[in-house]
Amino acid sequence: MQRLLITGISGGHGRLLAQRLRGSCEIVGVDRTPWEGRPKDITVHLADLRSHRVEDLFRRERPDAVVHLGLIRHDFDAILRHDVNVVATKRLLQYCADYGVEKVVVSTSSYVYGALPENPFYMDEDTALNVSRHYPEIRDLAEVDTLATAFLWRYPNIATAILRPVSTLGSNVQSSIGAYFKLPYVPTILGFDPLMQFIHESDLAEAMVAALERGARGVFNVVGPGAVPLGVAIREAGGTAVSLPEPLALFLLDRLFRYGWFPVPADAADFVKYPCTIDGRRFREATGFTPLLSLEETLQSVRI
Amino acid sequence: MSTTKEDVGRGSGNGRPRKRSRRLTTVTATPPVGTNANAKPTANAKPSARAKSAAETPPRAAAAAPAKRAIEPPPLSLLNRLRDAAGDAILGLDAFSPAFLRRIEDEVAAKLARAPMDLNAYGYDPWGLQADVVRRSMVISTLVYRYYFRVETRGAENLPSGRVLLIGNHAGQIALDAAMIAAAAFLEADPPRIVRGMGEYWLPRLPFLNVLMVRAGSVVGTPKNCVDLLDHGEAVIAFPEGVRGMNKSFTERYVLQEFGLGFLRLALETKTPIVPVAVVGSEEQAPSLGNWKTLARLLGMPAFPLVLAPVPLPVKYHIEFGAPMTFEGNPHDEDRVIGEMVEKVKSRIRRMMADGLARRKGVFL
Repeated sequence: MQRLLITGISGGHGRLLAQRLRGSCEIVGVDRTPWEGRPKDITVHLADLRSHRVEDLFRRERPDAVVHLGLIRHDFDAILRHDVNVVATKRLLQYCADYGVEKVVVSTSSYVYGALPENPFYMDEDTALNVSRHYPEIRDLAEVDTLATAFLWRYPNIATAILRPVSTLGSNVQSSIGAYFKLPYVPTILGFDPLMQFIHESDLAEAMVAALERGARGVFNVVGPGAVPLGVAIREAGGTAVSLPEPLALFLLDRLFRYGWFPVPADAADFVKYPCTIDGRRFREATGFTPLLSLEETLQSVRI
Repeated sequence: MSTTKEDVGRGSGNGRPRKRSRRLTTVTATPPVGTNANAKPTANAKPSARAKSAAETPPRAAAAAPAKRAIEPPPLSLLNRLRDAAGDAILGLDAFSPAFLRRIEDEVAAKLARAPMDLNAYGYDPWGLQADVVRRSMVISTLVYRYYFRVETRGAENLPSGRVLLIGNHAGQIALDAAMIAAAAFLEADPPRIVRGMGEYWLPRLPFLNVLMVRAGSVVGTPKNCVDLLDHGEAVIAFPEGVRGMNKSFTERYVLQEFGLGFLRLALETKTPIVPVAVVGSEEQAPSLGNWKTLARLLGMPAFPLVLAPVPLPVKYHIEFGAPMTFEGNPHDEDRVIGEMVEKVKSRIRRMMADGLARRKGVFL
């Protein structure tokens, strides 16, 4: 691996990965927003991933590995987000095929499986992507995943790794789940306390490095150090769980989310009712990856 | 499990609190975590100090500092605190519990310490089991097992110490037969086994019950859960009759309903021995006229039995664990081939049920 292109490099995951790989290869980034105070040896191109300037970038920079982190999440309008994520991913993957990229890593999320009451505790990679059944807001994530999987099978010579990490916590990465755990009073649904898995942002960066270095090819669940019930996780992360009856919780959260005062839409409530826990065996066997931080450290990183 | 190196040199020296002091704070006898058992209960075990000591050291806060995180009660909502208090009032407050209840609590705690469990730093196993909830539910199960259903168990020595699939007949409208089999495996088998139930798919939708079910060791009965548990060396119980058996009418008592084939495929896939279990008694505990399917569908329940008894009747239970059966073959073979193996298990259960019926003196005796 000589030249690595990271999309969405100015985001938390992008910065962590770039800093982790500095010195071992040449790093080129692309993002819509600049990375203030970035190290000098990292180049960042400002571009929208949907624009054709990205193709120029491939033509000029000739990356041999691409990590696609340029996905947007809840802060945007759902239609725009779907458009950006799906269209940009499709184009980017096409450029990867056209310009001779050898390794591609796409990171989606374990949420693509959806939180259903009948979920087994440890879903493997062959489980259907059910998220749009109850939580259509993030079906774009499932579509990105499906696009990348199709790409994986269409180009057998490219080592494509699709990572589906569990809830990522940490101080650099902006995520809905992180914002949820940062609340002083964390709303939960009365009578439900599902198991949840977590991974620290630096461990996720490490997992991406492992996928790149091993040239892993396939779809992989990426899990952290273990699973605990939601209530324990909230307590460990320093918050206070407030259990509300479901109808009240859904009504309140829906309003608060619309006004921008709550980080997660009400449709996501299933994720605090039912388990969406995954089996990370395949990735562990393919790359030897094990998380460095314990569950305790991971949960406590929320408030650092 | 609850004994670690740090314990040596503290307390009684054998890593576990002395019997005398255990009576004071039963809960600390089995801290839910495998990290430390050096939660040495107070040594001032004078009877007069009992009430005071219990007040000073609420059961779960009595652990030593390193254990504090895992054991101290979570700062949860008022409702949760009330619920905890209610639970303590029923089970935990040794000062107020009669002697026979304390004996059972001690016995359950001692067995739990010997039961294999794989708990993380927070006291949960990978499937959400929590030792303390198992302990509480086992105390209740033991009371029901000994004094209500007066269960007589045979063949507990047939339970191996590793992975095993328990297959039984299902009856009685509510899964008390599963609870009694679990109690039998916990109380009579050596080492004590915590039986993992395979629950109906609609159970996780029920508030509170879903949490209790998981904390007590049950999971939704998906094939993946079953395979994972068996690979982990657990004892898994399944009722291949499902609701067909549990919610059948009184006229069909002791008539085995159609068996699903999935359990045998899983046993073949994971090379797990099957221990057939016959329960006699459960079939009469809640006589039912039949199943009101339309109402069940309206309520989103798997069945709506028209039960005649307001509470399960105090029938006499007989439970028999049969010798382990091992099968070999292709787990993905056609239904006919798998069905023949299932029929072998079914006829063993049928025979054991007939034995149990012949042995008993009466429904309630």
